[in-house]
Amino acid sequence: MTVLSTPPAKARPWRRYPASTFYLFAAPWILGFLALTVLPLAWALMISLTNFDGMAPTYRFVGFRNYVELFTDYPQALRSLWQTLLYTAVVVPLSVAGGLGLAILVNRRIRAVGLIRAVFFLPSVVPVVATAIMWRLVLNPDAGMLNGILGLVGIPSVSWLIDPYAFYSLVMVSLWGLGGGMVITLAALQDVPAELNEAATLDGANGWQVIRNVTIPMISPVLYFQIVTGVIAALQVLVQPLLLAQTSSIAMASAVPPSTHVYMVQVYQEFFTNNRFGFGSAMLWVFFLVIMLFTVVLQRSSRRWVHYQASSNED
Amino acid sequence: MTTMLTRQPAAPTENGAGGSARSREKRQRQSAFVYIAIVVCLALFGAPFLWILLTALATPQQLGEGAGGLLRFDNLQWNNFVEAVTRVELGAYFGNSLFLATLTAVLTTASSAIVGFAFARIRARGSKALFTIVLATMMIPQIATLIPTYMMFSQVGLVGTYWPWVLWGLSGSAYMIFLFRQFFAAIPLELEDAAIIDGCGWFRTFVQIFLPLSRPIILTSLLLQFTWAWGDYLTPALLLNQDNTTLAVAVTNAYLDPQGNGITTLQAAGSILYILPALVIFLFFQRYFISSALSSGVKG
Repeated sequence: MTVLSTPPAKARPWRRYPASTFYLFAAPWILGFLALTVLPLAWALMISLTNFDGMAPTYRFVGFRNYVELFTDYPQALRSLWQTLLYTAVVVPLSVAGGLGLAILVNRRIRAVGLIRAVFFLPSVVPVVATAIMWRLVLNPDAGMLNGILGLVGIPSVSWLIDPYAFYSLVMVSLWGLGGGMVITLAALQDVPAELNEAATLDGANGWQVIRNVTIPMISPVLYFQIVTGVIAALQVLVQPLLLAQTSSIAMASAVPPSTHVYMVQVYQEFFTNNRFGFGSAMLWVFFLVIMLFTVVLQRSSRRWVHYQASSNED
Repeated sequence: MTTMLTRQPAAPTENGAGGSARSREKRQRQSAFVYIAIVVCLALFGAPFLWILLTALATPQQLGEGAGGLLRFDNLQWNNFVEAVTRVELGAYFGNSLFLATLTAVLTTASSAIVGFAFARIRARGSKALFTIVLATMMIPQIATLIPTYMMFSQVGLVGTYWPWVLWGLSGSAYMIFLFRQFFAAIPLELEDAAIIDGCGWFRTFVQIFLPLSRPIILTSLLLQFTWAWGDYLTPALLLNQDNTTLAVAVTNAYLDPQGNGITTLQAAGSILYILPALVIFLFFQRYFISSALSSGVKG
């Protein structure tokens, strides 16, 4: 960005930066990308056109039959896709809004605020396995804390981990980790100039109006980032529904109740219960395309409401 | 904006005393609300930690009595923790987790630093396009590549070994490459020029000038990759066997009674031992986690 007063010197010849050096240094990533991202995806694409079952050495090319089956003849899979979209539509807005709410709550000078923030943030660093185990204990119908508390006010025991409640439990468990978003939002809040809030308050805006018309536009890039990463994470949720439903020693996709039987659980089931590697691969590719679609749509929509500081007068 | 402008502005000067009294009352009411909200949230976020601890200290009989049974503190079973370690080979699983997480952290950090340096400092045709691909791979869901990778690795006999972690580590992580690139790109050119004048090649420039400067980011990368690998469930569940798997998998399926039913109290104790290292690392190095979360958020 600096303006050079002298004409661009030719003293820095490009030969000083031989391309081969760059490619030598970047080789670990390039090779890894080709071998561990491109190749598996291509492999899955190839398998998705076959009836491979994971073991038999002979399998046939079946064309797009797996894809056709997925969309026309397999209501279970489409239902799982629908549950995934529902889960995403519920969890992402709630966790971004919740993160913003918590951030506003702790963005003030009060005693032990560091400790309070740490407690809110802590759940987001607990490994997913431990989160699931903890919540299975809290939601346990007999010895669980939630039913214990509800029992105090006379509400009879609820089986939180099976339908029709499993979906709400999954949402609750997911929201427990929203402290990660809180920290990011909190930092963004602290970058909002205090004069802006003061000016708005002097103009007569109440607390909610300041948040709506000053704070949110100012931190919109950070909110947008959380929505993008949140949507991608929510669409591929798998371990939580799998482990929350676990009853025996093995995590079984077939044990997951219908309302939390999300798309990835279905994929897992096709691969590791039904041994339909070809069909599972087709499901993975459809998922891959869905993610790309979401990314593009979010990117498009962001132009309308995300305000980057560098260009304040967009539209 | 219009709603804000049409609103009656507050009149600060008129009847000043009454207004300030009212506003003080309002502020007090507000801060009471804030404290109540904070206490409620603390309870909500902290309760599961408390409950797993109570379960880990209970007897199976107490657990059978329902939620009230866990609240009897006269008979705390600290012995559950001992049994959690001795009943299954928790030490071995702990070692596996420690080994894999350390391996992942060291390899990923080293290769991400090298690649990040290349993107930040070495000019070459195609490097910009490649960097766009690096950023785009962050959007690829990990699971969409994990299962096909599992299929491939099972064909070549890598399932059941730790080699996949070596390969993943060596290829670096897109996010870390991004962080290193941002950091290296901000280092003044003069420093590099001086090194070149002194006759350093690119590798020596990288090792002797850039690496020492990037100590905070190296630490961040080590911590994030370590805790990520420590918490990862799906990869070891798919790629390893019961006898060489990690703690993450073991706590979900190793605590069984002779009939094959899970032993809840021991599982709770084992889970606490499993998350403890992650929490300790987090508490000690909080600011590294938070600063990396910030740099990812700022990217927008």
